[in-house]
Amino acid sequence: MNRNYIFLTLLMLALALGTLFIKKKPTKPETPPETLLWEIIQPTRYVSTDQVARMIIQKDPSLEIIDVRSPKEFSQFTLPGAINVPPDSLITETGSEYFGIPGIKVVFISNDGILADRVWVLAKRLGYNDLYVMKGGLNRWMETIIQPKEPGEGEPYTAFEEYEFRQGARLYFTGAKVKTTKATKAKVIVRRKKKATVASGGC
Amino acid sequence: MHVHELNPKKTLITVIIFVLLIIIGFLTLRTPRFHYQLSLKETTQMLQNNDNAFYPYQLTDVIDNINHKVVLIDIRNKFAFSRGHIPGAENISAYDLTKEKNIKHLEALADKGITVVLYGKDLLQANGPWMWFRQVGFRNVKYLLGGYDYYQKHKKNLAQTENDKSYLPGLPRYNYAKLASRKTQSTVTTTKTKKPVIIRRKKKATVASGGC
Repeated sequence: MNRNYIFLTLLMLALALGTLFIKKKPTKPETPPETLLWEIIQPTRYVSTDQVARMIIQKDPSLEIIDVRSPKEFSQFTLPGAINVPPDSLITETGSEYFGIPGIKVVFISNDGILADRVWVLAKRLGYNDLYVMKGGLNRWMETIIQPKEPGEGEPYTAFEEYEFRQGARLYFTGAKVKTTKATKAKVIVRRKKKATVASGGC
Repeated sequence: MHVHELNPKKTLITVIIFVLLIIIGFLTLRTPRFHYQLSLKETTQMLQNNDNAFYPYQLTDVIDNINHKVVLIDIRNKFAFSRGHIPGAENISAYDLTKEKNIKHLEALADKGITVVLYGKDLLQANGPWMWFRQVGFRNVKYLLGGYDYYQKHKKNLAQTENDKSYLPGLPRYNYAKLASRKTQSTVTTTKTKKPVIIRRKKKATVASGGC
């Protein structure tokens, strides 16, 4: 055999052996750090409690609520249809099967939204998309949906519309009965001017 | 018989070119600027506690220049910063955090053992950047609880906020189950009382009345 062929074969073999030492990369590539920071800075991941409430009421099939609080807190109260995925189980096999489903929007919830936001960063690093955070968490849920505040005078019309929606949502989520006191007819009080007699006045 | 077998030098040239190509490939391989230094497991542990929190009452020492081991970094935009900031804070807007100059600055601070405290409008704004810095290997980065909003509200009595729990993250503010139960919410009253409409007629000044 030609000496050159042997030399080339040996070189190729050496290079092929070299590939064995290349670090095995995880099957799903992690988001590069710089992309991750860029995503972190964007406020587009935040959804309001109203948006979430509307999606639940409309039974939006693309909504998946992930409750990241502890199982104990989860058992006491959560939103309808929420799944409990504490941060520890997120990186395990069972936790990750809830993410990366095409067409599903994942909304993270926690008590005040901070933990949810942190889990969002973690899931984003894992390379999943379509992840959102309910801003303000369950604390704001209570303040806006369960105990909505009536807008004061001088607030824009939209605030009243929002309040109307929240009242309805509150009924939906608590199952409270409505007690509507009938609107009393507005009395029209007409103040007639006092007739000034011709005689009155004058110096 | 192949042509190159007649000329053994040809093989050598091919090999040299081949090796050169590989070397050039390695040299031009762009190494990413940042790598994840914390594993997913470490990150998960980190996000569940408040070990990296900087409390508002700790700010007093920083503002009074007693504590030289802490540098405050305001990650809000320039406009918000110019409207007001914690005394002594530096402004690096969140969008500029990865600029070469700023990363070098933060690395220099880390080498000196100085703690960097990030703060935004609220805790949420600094939350993500803090996690990012930790993950790419900055061990000296912390976040300010409550953010600038809390500081502004309590800047006159920062020292007394030690026992205030309102800035602590992750706590439920209500008893959710009780509040959202059917019992508590048994009746929702929607009263729609219309305000009486008062019509005031303009007083007519009669010709006869008054006048001297």
